[in-house]
Parts: sequence; structure tokens; C-alpha cells
Amino acid sequence: MMDVERSRHSMHPGSSGSGLRHSPRETAVLIATAGNGYPKKSPSMPNFHEKPFTSTNASEPILNSNGLPVSSEYVADNSGVQSLTDGDASLSVIEMYGDEVESRRPENEDGGNLEGDEDADSDELELPTSGMPPTGSAMPNSDYFDRYGFKKQSNLITEQDYDEWWENYSQYCIRRKHKWKILMEKSGLPMDNDSPNRFPSRSEKLKRYVRKGIPAEWRGNAWWYFARGQEKLNKNKGIYDKLLLKMDDLLKSKTKSMPDLDIIERDLNRTFPDNIHFQKETFQIDDPPMIKSLRRVLVAFSLYNPKIGYCQSMNFLAGLLLLFMDEERAFWMLVIITSRYLPGVHNINLEGVNVDQGVLMLCIKEYLPEIWQYIMPQTSSKHFSLNNGTSLLGGNDFLYKLPPITLCTASWFMSCFVGVLPIEGTLRIWDCLFYEESHFLFKISLAIFKLCEPELIKLKPLRNGIGKNPIRGQRGSQMSNGESEMEVFQIVQTFPKQLINPNELFDRVIFKRRFSLNKLDQDEVDRCRKYVSSQRLKYKHYSEIMGTGHRNNNNNSNNNSNDIGIASSSSNSADGEKMAGDIINDALSSEVYGFKKGLGGVHWNNSIKAKVKQMRKKKG
Amino acid sequence: MLQFKLVLLGDSSVGKSSIVHRFVKDSFDEFRESTIGAAFLSQTIKIEDKGSQQEVVIKFEIWDTAGQERYKSLAPMYYRNANAALVVYDVTQQDSLAKAQGWVNELKTKVGEDDLVICLVGNKLDLCTEEGESSSKPKAVESSDAEGYANEQGLLFHEVSAKTGEGVKQVFQSIGEKLYEFKKHELANSKGRQGAGGDTVNVQLQRPSTNDATSCCG
Repeated sequence: MMDVERSRHSMHPGSSGSGLRHSPRETAVLIATAGNGYPKKSPSMPNFHEKPFTSTNASEPILNSNGLPVSSEYVADNSGVQSLTDGDASLSVIEMYGDEVESRRPENEDGGNLEGDEDADSDELELPTSGMPPTGSAMPNSDYFDRYGFKKQSNLITEQDYDEWWENYSQYCIRRKHKWKILMEKSGLPMDNDSPNRFPSRSEKLKRYVRKGIPAEWRGNAWWYFARGQEKLNKNKGIYDKLLLKMDDLLKSKTKSMPDLDIIERDLNRTFPDNIHFQKETFQIDDPPMIKSLRRVLVAFSLYNPKIGYCQSMNFLAGLLLLFMDEERAFWMLVIITSRYLPGVHNINLEGVNVDQGVLMLCIKEYLPEIWQYIMPQTSSKHFSLNNGTSLLGGNDFLYKLPPITLCTASWFMSCFVGVLPIEGTLRIWDCLFYEESHFLFKISLAIFKLCEPELIKLKPLRNGIGKNPIRGQRGSQMSNGESEMEVFQIVQTFPKQLINPNELFDRVIFKRRFSLNKLDQDEVDRCRKYVSSQRLKYKHYSEIMGTGHRNNNNNSNNNSNDIGIASSSSNSADGEKMAGDIINDALSSEVYGFKKGLGGVHWNNSIKAKVKQMRKKKG
Repeated sequence: MLQFKLVLLGDSSVGKSSIVHRFVKDSFDEFRESTIGAAFLSQTIKIEDKGSQQEVVIKFEIWDTAGQERYKSLAPMYYRNANAALVVYDVTQQDSLAKAQGWVNELKTKVGEDDLVICLVGNKLDLCTEEGESSSKPKAVESSDAEGYANEQGLLFHEVSAKTGEGVKQVFQSIGEKLYEFKKHELANSKGRQGAGGDTVNVQLQRPSTNDATSCCG
């Protein structure tokens, strides 16, 4: 991994060392006052862009921003694994792991695209081959860390699993990159020293290419390009620098304080503790450059958008961005993610989380009814039902009282799958997120649930038959409701972490047109979000009028209510509950959400049609 | 086997996840990733029935939660139907005790069940006891203060170190015993109502709802 360190420092000799021997506070001062000299490049940004380094490059002294050779302390800091004078200077990060190495086998299975009839890239060529094997063992640390500096091993994946998978997947990456290069050439776009800044115009083909993975070395630029980051930056030139100045002022000020600073500090060392770029060696006095960048980005963001401030999970978003782009870009990408893709999700009240989880639940119910029965909150209906058992709100009460499974899936959205899947999978999702926008997060969530299905089926026979709502906690039931609920959680929590091969998700679900979940598009998600948020608002409004909201819930542990819930009324106010329920029912049940009726989806369309009819009848 | 739902609450970075990992996996990481949303784990312990001197197996279904203030809006989902709550503070951070007390209040007003076992736990004891170590920090919360508060509120109280493991087992042991006491009492009161037979009594993880009478068994 030494080469990572060396590469990034030799890449930006003029800027990378800024503030190395300063405390975090001093660093902020130094950087904020550095004016034009401010290092826009993240000091720790691993460099996937470089072609193999020349020996000249590698032997250059590493300079800090003052032009002084970096102290030996610092060299020691970052070379904890290998000394600077060791060999292998000519290998790039990616090469160390065999990614730049030409494929040794003439395989052309197109990355295991199982459904070749659907998405075969007929335009793709055979890759020229040479006999060189991946050089995975060239660097001592490649035994432990992947090409981004993450530890290969996790609780659920052994190093051996990783290496075996990587041997194939790295070849896949090489093939994909080769195809990307051809596409770029055809589109007349320059490769700019393996760091292209412009990408082909949007097309089905490009979408497919993105879904099959953007080359790791191009990711930072590609994300920036597809998310229209430059547009955002051009409109806000100089803002990031100003924010850093403000941060500096606030740090110096004895009267004013930054409310979010403390909570940010607590999370800095808890962001990717398994990634070498974020690790602080015991002998290191100062924070690693990556941690300093992370601090600046997060503090700057909290000043830029006080409505959000700092929300746990943003540390992972910013952290991952910093592995692929410089600080200022990472900052603006964070702005884009939290506003365009995940609106309201990180706000203080987290209402955006609840809305998105409501949307996800609606989508599961619609596209994966076979899964829905496992996660449906099995007691919820009783709280929203009248005594005769009819469900209120068109059966959509789960939008207000979200099923507990959403405690698990909320983090999928908040951190955009960082830490949810092994890193290569997360990156593939990010590729699609920036190209296809937020609906992809829902789509991939559905895909994960789909892949979970066999495990869920193994879990337990459904007690009350398919489609029926088994009553949780029924006395004498074979399995207590908590037990099965926990097992569902454990599967949903653990399963994605084991998904080492991203192509499992993509080839087995995302590229399969026969799965109706692939019909989900941005338009649908936007509409669905509006629907859920308006329903939640109305519900809140009504429950407040009826006085059965938060204020009257002394006894609500016995109800499966969460933050807002008519169910939280005390148990002896059944009449009031009924009345409130009726009013809400009248107001809301006419607004049952209807998924768009696509041309091909006969089955699910009919089923939703029937449902809607039924509901209308009931209401009438 | 008896199963109970246990939820962890407390300020960010007081060591909730570390306590759970010490208990479940007997391991410790100096830096553990911030918990986003919630994590679920389970672990069993054995306790002794004081009357019959028989061993009883208790399974904890543990809900570990994110600590940041704003996650509080999701909290009711965490603690509903909980049998026990572990409210954690950091013995080197006075503020964190105040936050813990806030959680205790919330549990008492929102859950308000007499048989909810709440245990106040002061973590990071190791930071105060490593003599001469540079990492040593002054103890900001006196044991007597926290214990006094816990007694006043009827909470269990422990001081632990997830890092060394000191006191962690005892926390769960004492919670298990207390839960068993309650359960035994409850079972004695409701004999015959429960349909379960055989040698093992399968007790529901979640609290029986007071609404059950009308909606589920009625």
C-alpha cells in the first residue's frame, strides 16, 4: 500500500503536505489563510488515475506546501507499512492489484451477464490478452487491503474469499474498462491521461455501461460529471473557501461556537476505521490528512446548511467521496446528495428518512408481494382497524407507523449503502445513483430483498397462509412474534454484507427485465415520495386535531405505534380512536397510491387494479 | 428458553456498540464505525432459578441504536415492546449522564411499564484507571452520583469497560435475573392462560399488548 501514499504525495507535491505538522485547529487556520495556495486536492486522495509512476517521480522529495521536505515524522506516519526506499515504485495502486494488467485469459463472458439475450454487449470486442497474471501479491499489504485501502476481511468475508473473488472480478474490471475506452474513442472523447473529464452523452448504452461499473480510476470524475457537480460549483465559486474561513473564525472565537463540531469530532475516527487512509497509527501525533479533509468537509457543510448541520451517516458519504475526489468537489457532491438525491433525509427531524422508508415499503408491497408478507408489521392492522376488522387508510397504515424493518433499511438510504454492502458493490450503486438518480437506491433495495427471498423462505413457514396477515404475538403460536421478527431483521441486516460480488445483484436482478421492480423509475419515485409525505402530513394533522398524537400516549408501549400514531391513544379511548379513524379514513382512503401502469406488467397491474376497486367499494 | 428484547440507548460515542460487541463476541475495537439506524444482535446467558436451583437460559434480542440526538425521532420504534433498556453514559463525559437521564425520563413517560428493566451503565472505566497512561482521563461522573440517581429512579446500575470487559457480563446477568423475576411473577399470575406446554415455556419476546384482548384473541 506504500505506493498509494507515495503516489498521492508525488502527484501533488505542491499542495499535499499542507498543515501536516499542525493540530487540527492550526490546520484550519493555515488552510483558511492560505488563499490561493489552498490545496483543493484532497491531501489523502488515493490516486487511481496515474499510469505507472516513473522512477523520477517516485524519487522526488515529497514536499509540503511550504516547499519544505516533509519531516521524517510524517514519512514515518504514512509509511507505517513499508519504507519509502523500497521497490515497486513503478506500480500504480490499481496495478498492484492486477487491475491494469491485461487479462491473462481470453474469457469473454461479458462479466457473467447471465441473461445474454437481454443485455449482451454485441458491440463489445474481445480483449487482447497477454500472459501476465494479476500481481496481487506484489505488495505486502495487498494481502490485507483492497485497492481503495479497505481491509479485505470483514466479519462475514475472509481474506481467502476476497482473493478468490477478486481474481475474477479484477479481470471483469479490466474488460469493462477496455470497453469504456472503446466507447470513449468512438464518442471522440479524450482519455486525458486516464483521467477523462467528459463522458459520452446519455443513452441506453451508456446507462448499461454505467450499470456494469465505471472504471475505478474514472469514478471521481464520472460521478462529478453525471451529478452535474461543475454546474453547482460554477454557481457557487469561492463558497467552500469562505466556509473554511468562517470555520476558522469560529474556532478562534471564544464566544461563538459550532454546535455540530463536537459531534463531528466524535465520528471522525469512526469513519472507515478499517481503511488505511483513515487510520491513525499509534505513533502518529497528528490526524492523518484524510481525517483532516473529512473534518473540513463536514464542518463546512454544517455551516453551509444549518438545517441539516451534521447527521451521522454523512461521515461515510463524505469519507467515500474523499477517496475519489478532492475536498471541494467532495463538499459539493455532499450538497448534491443531501438535496437532490436524498431530500430531507438528513434533516434534524429525519422526516425524509420516514418518507423514503414509506416509499420503499409501498414499493415492496407492490413489486415484491412475496417478500412483503415477511416484513409486514403484523400487528399494525389492529391499531388502525375498526372493530369489525376493516383496515383504515386503504391498508396503507404502514406509511405512518413504519414497520420495524425500516430501522434496518433506513441506513441503506442515509449512507447510500456505504457499509451495507462490501465496497465494490457500494461503488457500483454509486455509479448508478449519479447517472440514474435516487430511484436507483429503491431499485437496488428491492433487488436485495429479492435476493434475500430464499433465506426468508427457509426461515419459517408462514403461519396463516400467503397474503393473510399472521397475527403477531398470538398466544400459543409456534414461534413468538419477536423471534421471527428478529430473524427477518438479521437476514436483512446480514445478507447484503455477504454479497461480495456486485454482479450477483446486477446480473441476477437489475438486468432481468422479467422482474417488475425494474419498471420503477425516477418519475414513479418522485410521485410516490410526494404521496407519502402528503399522507404523513395529513395523518399527523388529523391525529393532532383529535388529540391522539404524541401528547396522549402514556400507555403506548402496548401499541405498535411509533412517532405518530392514532394508536397511541390510551386503550380506553376506543371511541375516540374510532372517530379519529373514520375521519382520517374519509380524508385519506380516496388517495390510495396507484403505481404507474406500464405496458408489459399485466400481472401486477391487474392485481393493483383489483385492490383499488376493492378499496373503493369498501369506502363507498 | 426465555427471550427478551433489550434496547441500547445513550449519547453518541459513549460505547453502546462496544458494550454489545464485548457481550456478544467478546471482542473490542478501539475505533468502531458509527452505528447508523440500528443493528440487531442476540446472545444467550444462563441464570439460576433461586427457588428450584435450576438453570434458566435467557436469550437477549439486542437492538443497538444510533446515538445522535436527531435519531431520537426514530426511538419509539426501537423501544416499543422492549423488556429491558440499557442506558449508557461515558464516565469521562458529564454531559453524557445528562443525556442518559433524558433517556430514562423518556422511557418512563413513554413506555411507563413497571416491569421494564432499565439499567444505567457508565462505560469507559478503563480510561480512568490506567494509571500513568497518557490516555488516562479524569473521571467526570462520580460513581456515587450516578448510583444515587439510579437508586432514586429504581434502575439497575453498573460501571463497566467494554475495552477490558470489566463488568459487562454482570450487566446482562443482573438484567436477566431481574427479567426472570418479573416473568416468573407474571407466569404465576397468569397460569392457564398460556397455551404453551412441555418442559420449556416459550415466552413472548414482546410485551403482550393490552389491546390483545379485543383484537387478537377476541
